[in-house]
Amino acid sequence: MPDPLWALAIGAGLALLLAGLFWPERGLWPRWRRTRELTERVLTEDALKHIHKWEMKGRRPTVESLAGALQVPRDRVAQLLANMEQLGLLTSQGGDLHLTAAGRDAALHIIRAHRLWERYLADQTGYDEADWHGQAERLEHTLPPAEVDALAARLGHPTHDPHGDPIPDSAGRFVAHGGQPLTALPPDTPAQIVHIEDEPEVVYAQLVAEGLYPGMAVRLIELTPQRVRFWANGDEHVLAPLLAANISVVPKPAEAEGKQAVKAAPPAIPLSALRLGEQAEVVGISPRCRGPERRRFMDLGILPGTVVTAELVSPSGDPTAYRIRDALIALRKEQADLIHVAPRPAPAASPNGDRPTVGQEPRPEEAEAPSSP
Amino acid sequence: MSQTAQLTGPLSTGGPAARPSQPAVTPDQILATARSLRWQVGSDYHQALMEAIYTEAARIADRAVTRPGEKPRFDLDRTIDRLVTSRVWGFPLMILLFTLVFWITISGANIPSQLLSNLLIGVVYPWLHRLADLIGLPWWLTGLLIDGVYLSTAWVVSVMLPPMAIFFPLFTLLEDFGYLPRVAFNLDNLFKKAGAHGKQALSLMMGFGCNAAGVVSTRIIDSPRERLIAILTNNFALCNGRWPLQILIATLFLGGLVAAPWAGLIAALSVVGVAVLGVLFSFAASWALSRTVLRGQPSTFSLELPPYRPPRVLQTIYTSLIDRTIIILGRAVMFAVPAGAVIWLTANVHVGGASIAEHLVRLLDPIGLLIGLNSVILVAYIVAIPANEIVIPTILMLTVLVTGMSDVGAGAGVLFELENTEDLMRVFQASGWTLLTAVNLMLFSLLHNPCSTTIYTIYKETGSRKWAAVGALLPLAIGFVVTFLVAQVWRLVAG
Amino acid sequence: MSSQTDGPTVTALDQLTTADDGFTVTVEPLPAAAAGCAACPVHSVHNAANLRKLGIDMTDWDFVVALAGNPNVGKSTVFNALTGLRQHTGNWPGKTVTRAEGGFEYGGHRYKLVDLPGTYSLLATSLDEEVARDFILFGQPDVTVVVVDATRLERNLNLVLQVLEITDRVVVALNLMDEARRHRLQIDHRRLARDLGVPVVPTEARRGKGLPELLQAISDVATGRIVTRPHRIKNEPPALKQAIATLTRQIEAAFPGLPNARWVALRLLDGDERIAEAVRLGELGDLSRGSAEERSQSVQSLSAKPEPVP
Repeated sequence: MPDPLWALAIGAGLALLLAGLFWPERGLWPRWRRTRELTERVLTEDALKHIHKWEMKGRRPTVESLAGALQVPRDRVAQLLANMEQLGLLTSQGGDLHLTAAGRDAALHIIRAHRLWERYLADQTGYDEADWHGQAERLEHTLPPAEVDALAARLGHPTHDPHGDPIPDSAGRFVAHGGQPLTALPPDTPAQIVHIEDEPEVVYAQLVAEGLYPGMAVRLIELTPQRVRFWANGDEHVLAPLLAANISVVPKPAEAEGKQAVKAAPPAIPLSALRLGEQAEVVGISPRCRGPERRRFMDLGILPGTVVTAELVSPSGDPTAYRIRDALIALRKEQADLIHVAPRPAPAASPNGDRPTVGQEPRPEEAEAPSSP
Repeated sequence: MSQTAQLTGPLSTGGPAARPSQPAVTPDQILATARSLRWQVGSDYHQALMEAIYTEAARIADRAVTRPGEKPRFDLDRTIDRLVTSRVWGFPLMILLFTLVFWITISGANIPSQLLSNLLIGVVYPWLHRLADLIGLPWWLTGLLIDGVYLSTAWVVSVMLPPMAIFFPLFTLLEDFGYLPRVAFNLDNLFKKAGAHGKQALSLMMGFGCNAAGVVSTRIIDSPRERLIAILTNNFALCNGRWPLQILIATLFLGGLVAAPWAGLIAALSVVGVAVLGVLFSFAASWALSRTVLRGQPSTFSLELPPYRPPRVLQTIYTSLIDRTIIILGRAVMFAVPAGAVIWLTANVHVGGASIAEHLVRLLDPIGLLIGLNSVILVAYIVAIPANEIVIPTILMLTVLVTGMSDVGAGAGVLFELENTEDLMRVFQASGWTLLTAVNLMLFSLLHNPCSTTIYTIYKETGSRKWAAVGALLPLAIGFVVTFLVAQVWRLVAG
Repeated sequence: MSSQTDGPTVTALDQLTTADDGFTVTVEPLPAAAAGCAACPVHSVHNAANLRKLGIDMTDWDFVVALAGNPNVGKSTVFNALTGLRQHTGNWPGKTVTRAEGGFEYGGHRYKLVDLPGTYSLLATSLDEEVARDFILFGQPDVTVVVVDATRLERNLNLVLQVLEITDRVVVALNLMDEARRHRLQIDHRRLARDLGVPVVPTEARRGKGLPELLQAISDVATGRIVTRPHRIKNEPPALKQAIATLTRQIEAAFPGLPNARWVALRLLDGDERIAEAVRLGELGDLSRGSAEERSQSVQSLSAKPEPVP
C-alpha cells in the first residue's frame, strides 16, 4: 500500500505542475503560444494598422509613435520599416511614412478582420466587452481572407463594429461614420452617438464606465473649456473636453422622426426599478444589449411603446415576471437593467412596498383609465 | 476615423438602384444594391422593422378583440401564481410536491420491479436454458446468449422500467399543468449564481429519474451556454439506476456501524447525503464550467411562465410512456445487449491460464488501491458502462470469480444477486472490503462517467464528440480526485 | 400577389384595410360531396425537390401542410388532433425541437402535415426560427397553418404577419377559444379574416372543436378553391420604405413571379446570409418558376370552381 502522505504529496505536485503548465494566461503553455505569435508578420501588420490609422486621423506616423504602439525598441522599428519598404508596403521620404496601395489594402484587410471579429464576439458569443479587443488583436493576424469573408457572411455582412467603426467590405470600401466630435456640437441640438474611439484604452474605459455607447441619443447642455455637460438617454453626464472629443456624434433631424424626438424626452428608468404592480412604457433597449439577446427581446415584443407591468417576483428575489403583451415573461435583473422604461401614472400606488397582497393587486387592464379617487 | 470615406462604394455613384427599369438584373447587382442600401438604413433597421410589425399586429388585434364588461374578479391563474411563488409558501410547496413524486416513485416501483424480475429472471431465464439444452446449443453459445446477453438485458429492464414508468408520467403531469416553469422561476437566482439557468433545476430533477432523460429535458433551455452546462452536469444527479447500490452499501456498511434501531436511519441519511453532495457538485461544476471552458458561449436568458392548463391525465400517461420511457429504455437495451456479451466473454475467455476479467483485475489493482476501492469494482464499472443497474451483480460475479468462492454465485460471467445480507457480507469481506471501500464506492457511484446511454444522448443532443467526451470524463476525473483524497486522508487519520 | 407589393404606397392605414383589403374570403364549407373530388387534378404548389432536400418525401402525398405557431399555443395538440398521432405536448414554450411529421386524408386528397418548431418570429435569430423559416420559404408548402393563441392575439399576430410576408397560402387556426372565453374575451374572427386576408378558423383543439372547419379551410386553400389576399406590412418608417421599394423592384426584375420579393428585400437589408445565398445561387429562381406554374394552374382550375368575390 502506498504511503498516504507520499501519495498526497505526489498528487498535489501533479496538480501544481498541471496548473503551472496550463493556467489560462499565466501558464507556461499559453505564454509559449503568445511568444510564438509575436512574429515578424504580426509586427508588420500592426505597423500597417498604426500608420493607416494615423494617416486617417491626419497625423504623421513616426518611428517614435510606432515604437510606442508596437512596444518594441526604436532600432527594431527601423529594421521593420526597411523590410516593409522592400516589400513595397510603404514609402519613407525624409522620415515621412506613407502607405502604398498594397500597404493600404493589407491594412484594410487587417482592420476588417479585427472589426469583424469584435462584431462576432459581441453578437454571437458571451465574452465580456473587455475581452473583445484583446482577442481581436490576436485573431486579426491569423484569419486568412477566405475565412474573414465567411465570417462576414455568417454575421450578415455587418456594417459597423460594436464601437461604431465601419467595417471595410472585402474590396476595402467603407463609409465613415461622418460624425463630429461632441465638443463641436452646438448646444441643444439633438444628436446621436455614432462612434466612441477605443484608443487610448484608459479614455475608452472611462467612457464605457460612463455608460456611453454608439446609438445613444445625446443633447449638449453646456460647453466650457473645463467641462462638457450633456444629456445621454435621459441621464446627465459631465466630462472633460479631452474625453468628450473622443465621442463622435451626428445631429439627428428632429422633424422627420418626431416620434423619436419625443421619446428621448421622458425621464427613463431601468425596467428593474419598477415595483410590483407598477406599469411602464418601454422607451428603448440599451445599446449595451446586443446580438441574440437584443433580438430575443424584440421578438418577445419589448419595443418602444410596449406597456409592461411588473407582476411577480421570485421568492429567491431575482427574476421578476413582467406582463408583456399578455404574456408573463421572467427577466433577470441584469436584463431588466438594459430596458429603459418611462413609468406610467400608477393605477394605484403600490401600498406595501415590494410584495403584493394576494388578490388585491390592480389589474393591468383597468390601469388604462387612471381612476384615482 | 476621418470624416470622409476613403474609398467610396456604390453609394456615391447612385448604384444600380437608381435604374429600376433596367431589363435584367443579375443576382450580384441585387446584392450590391442591398449592401449599399444597408449603409443607408443604418443599424437599427431590425428594430424599426419589428416595431412596424408589432404596431400592425396590435392594430389588427385591437380591431378583432373586444372585452365586454369587467374581467372576472377572481383570476385563477394569478391566484395560483401568487401562491406558488410566494415567499412563504413557494419553497415548502415545491419541496412537498417533489417529495411526493419521489415517494410515489420509490414505493410504487418496488412491487412491479419484483414481479418483472421474478418473471424475466426467475421464470423465463431457466426456461431459456432448458430450451437451449433441448435444441443442443453448444455451451459457449448458451453462455453468451442466455447468461450474457439475455440476463443483463432482463436485469436492466426489470430494475429500470418500473420507476421510470411511474416517475416520468408524474413529472409530465406537473409539466403539463404549467407548474414546472414556476419552479425554474423560484430557483433561478440560485442557479444564476452558478452561471446556470433556472430550468436546470428541472433537468436535474429529471436526472434523478434517469440522466439520459435529464439530458434530453435540457432542450427547454434555449440559451446555448446554459444548456451545455445543464447537459454536462446532469450526471451529478444520482439517477434511479444508482440508488439500489447506494442503499445496499449504506445498509450493509454504514447502518452496521450503529445500534440496530438507528441502522435504517443512518443508512437513509447517508444515501440522501450522497444525493445532496451530487447536487452541490452539480452547482460547483456549473460554476467552474461557466467561467472557464464555456465562457465564450452565448447566453440569453428567457423564461416564459405559460398560463395554467388542466392536464389531461390519460393522454399524458400514454404519451410520456411512449415519449420518454420507451425511448430511453430502448436505448438502454441497445447498450445492454453488447454489454451482456462482453461481461460474459471477459469472464469466460481465457488467455494464458486466466480469464480476461482476472487479467484486468490484476492490472488495475494499484489504481484501485490508490483510490480506496479495489480493482474488481473498477473492472465492474468498465464492463457495466451501459447501465448502472448491473454494477452490483457484476461486482458480485467478479468477486466470486476472483476469490474462487464455490458456494455462492451462478458461474463465470453469470450475473446474480444475493437476498441474504450475511452471504453478501461474506462475499465482500472475502475480497477485503473495508468501511473505506464502502464509502468510496458510494462516492464513486455518484462521481463517475455516465452510462453509455447517457453519453450517447449527450452526443445526440450536442451533436459534438467533444462535448460528449467532456460530459463523460469530467465526472470521472472528479471521481478519481475525490476518492483519492478521501482514501489518503482516511488512511492518515485511521493510521 | 405581386400587385400587392408594388401597388401605390398608401400611407393612411384606415384606407388600407377598408379599400385595399376589401376582400371577402370567409370560410364557407362546401358540401361534402364537392370536397371529395378525387378526380380533380391535383395542382399542388409545394416544391418537391426542395422538400426532399429538407427531408420530406412527397411520394404518395398530394399536399404538404406546414404547422407554425408561437411556443405554447397548443400547436402540437392541433397536430395530434389532425393526424391522430400522439406526439408529446408539454406546457412549455418551445417544445417541438425536432420536426414532427404526420398525415391525414381529406376530401380524397392525402395531406402531409409537418409540425415546425414553435417560434416567436421568423427573422432567424435562432436555429428553431431558421428551420421554420427555411421550410416555409424553400419548401413552399401548399398551406401553412399558423396556430394562434386567442388570448394573446397581438403577440401571435406578429408571427402571422411575418408568415404572410413569405407565403400567401395561409390558414390561421384561432386556438384556445375556450381560454379566451374564460378570460371574457370576444374575438371577431370574421373581422380578423378580413384584416389578414386569409381564412381564420376558431378552434379548441383539446376538445376537437373547430377541427372539421379547419380541415375544410386547409383543403380550400390547398386546392385553390379559396384564393387569399394576404395582408402585407406597410407602416415602416419612410426611410426604410424607400430602401425596401428600391430593392424589391430589382428582385422582381430578376425573378419575375417570385411571390415574396418584398420579404426577400426585407431580409437582404437585414444582412441575412441564407437569403443572400439563395439569391446568388438562383435558388430563388426555382421558387419563382414554381409559383408561375402555380398561378397559371390555379387560374385554370378556378374558372371551373366557385370563385371568391374579389
